[in-house]
Amino acid sequence: MTDRQWEILLKTINGEASTPLPIGFIIDSPWLPNWYGVKILDYFSNDEIWLNANLKAINDFPEVMFLPGFWSEFGMCTEPSALGARGTFPPDEFPFAHKVIHSVDDIDNLPEPDPRTDGLLPFMLNRLKLAQPKIEAAGHKIRFAVARGPLNVASYLMGSTEFLTMMMMQPDKAEILMKKITAYLKNWLSLQMETFPSIDGIFLLDDIIGFMGENEFRTFGLPYFKELFDVNVSVKFLHNDAPCKVSAPFLPEMGVNLFNMGFEVTLNELKALTKGKVTLVGNIPPRDVLGSGTAEDVTEATKALLNSLDDKSRVIMSCGGGVPPGVKTENIRAFIEAVRGR
Amino acid sequence: MENLVARIGECVERGKVNKSSPYPRDMQGQEGTDELTRRALDAGVGPDEILQACSDGMKRIGDRFSRNEVFVPELLMSAKAMNAVMAHLKPFFQTGSVKAKGKFVIGTVAGDLHDIGKNLVAMVVEGNGWEVIDLGVDAKPAKFIDAVKQNPGCTVGLSALLTTTMVNMSRTIGEIKEQFPGTKVIVGGAPLTQKAADQMGADGYAPNPQGVVAFLNGGVQK
Repeated sequence: MTDRQWEILLKTINGEASTPLPIGFIIDSPWLPNWYGVKILDYFSNDEIWLNANLKAINDFPEVMFLPGFWSEFGMCTEPSALGARGTFPPDEFPFAHKVIHSVDDIDNLPEPDPRTDGLLPFMLNRLKLAQPKIEAAGHKIRFAVARGPLNVASYLMGSTEFLTMMMMQPDKAEILMKKITAYLKNWLSLQMETFPSIDGIFLLDDIIGFMGENEFRTFGLPYFKELFDVNVSVKFLHNDAPCKVSAPFLPEMGVNLFNMGFEVTLNELKALTKGKVTLVGNIPPRDVLGSGTAEDVTEATKALLNSLDDKSRVIMSCGGGVPPGVKTENIRAFIEAVRGR
Repeated sequence: MENLVARIGECVERGKVNKSSPYPRDMQGQEGTDELTRRALDAGVGPDEILQACSDGMKRIGDRFSRNEVFVPELLMSAKAMNAVMAHLKPFFQTGSVKAKGKFVIGTVAGDLHDIGKNLVAMVVEGNGWEVIDLGVDAKPAKFIDAVKQNPGCTVGLSALLTTTMVNMSRTIGEIKEQFPGTKVIVGGAPLTQKAADQMGADGYAPNPQGVVAFLNGGVQK
């Protein structure tokens, strides 16, 4: 993100209104490789392709804040890799991580990863370091330390059904796992911040939050997210595009001040649930409208969203979730034009 | 005996699997579906009656889930309690003294390792008297085709959590419909909508396990 974009983001989070409303999209491997015209594996394995795809996106859409911006990642394999999870990378499909916890006894034997050397993390960090001069030459800076959230990582390590069932049957074991993963993620985020002093934000992605009731969230989610967000940075960004009505009232307590949600909840509802304390990044339907709709559909949905807002402060116009595969340039352009009132 | 059957239904609804299970807290130390089903069968209660209690219990928890009074972990525990019942009833299905309503092949599509939705649907559908063939996660189209071949007349359920894997769902439907045009396919998962299901050529879409049961019982019961 450029200095100007960062300034707008901070002003928006502080409640300052801007006209037109700012635009932000989460972009990563589900969208960028295909949009740029390369195979997913090439995007992951070739630093130059990765950099050029990101540079093209920022150059083609200078009006958009791409969040987190120059996200070096290996899909869902990134964080689980340092804990020993085998990653599968089909040539032009999305990678996934295999389970490493097959019984609760495995939790005690989980390694304590060193993010400097373990799994895919050094590759991710080194790619960013190598690209840093070119990113900065393009007027951008690395602003966010990024990780999948602890519930999400836990569900990759042992399977979501097994993890959620363990919460109910062996809550003590579930807490041990959450503590281990949280400690690891804290180290990982710290390393990113140490490496790039320009980082002034934390971005966590976790949709397992959406499957839990309040009691489970209070026990297995809230304390760990609070710990992870308890860092001296200006922007604390959470993505959860699964259901969020249970967890939304806790966002301020978690420390979150920027939130990207799914599209099934209205921004007005979320404003009420968060008492207007959290900046919302959303939320036209990502797949049915931004992805597979026409430019006219996008314009219509974007205008409807704008018109629906009771309060336009602390809103960044976006889709509900990250940019999905197959979103065409003209649809993003239509979104931008609609927000700008053209 | 009526009490035993009612308690089985209650244990399914509350997710009480067996006596040693710590969940739910207010039922710790009490018998669960495992012990109660065994006792009911020993006492001569018919498997149909037990299955009905199961189904009623799952319906009650399913309704509470639809009203956002309980969430996925509670539903998973109910399904687990129901599985403990089904383990006792399996021999009756195998001998034919209890007849399954039909066959339901389910899997999470290729590239997607998410299993919550798929497992919930499988468990709830099974509790409603259907034979479930679970293909697991990351199931390629060929795996679905093989399962349809081996289970003529089955209905197929496809699950996806990732927006990114929905393209594989579409591909799977296409291949099933090409080779077995009469086979009904229902889809579900967080990124899906009725519109998306229609675009992919699915015969049905359900936002929750109860929707799948309604589709199966109402639409394609053989």
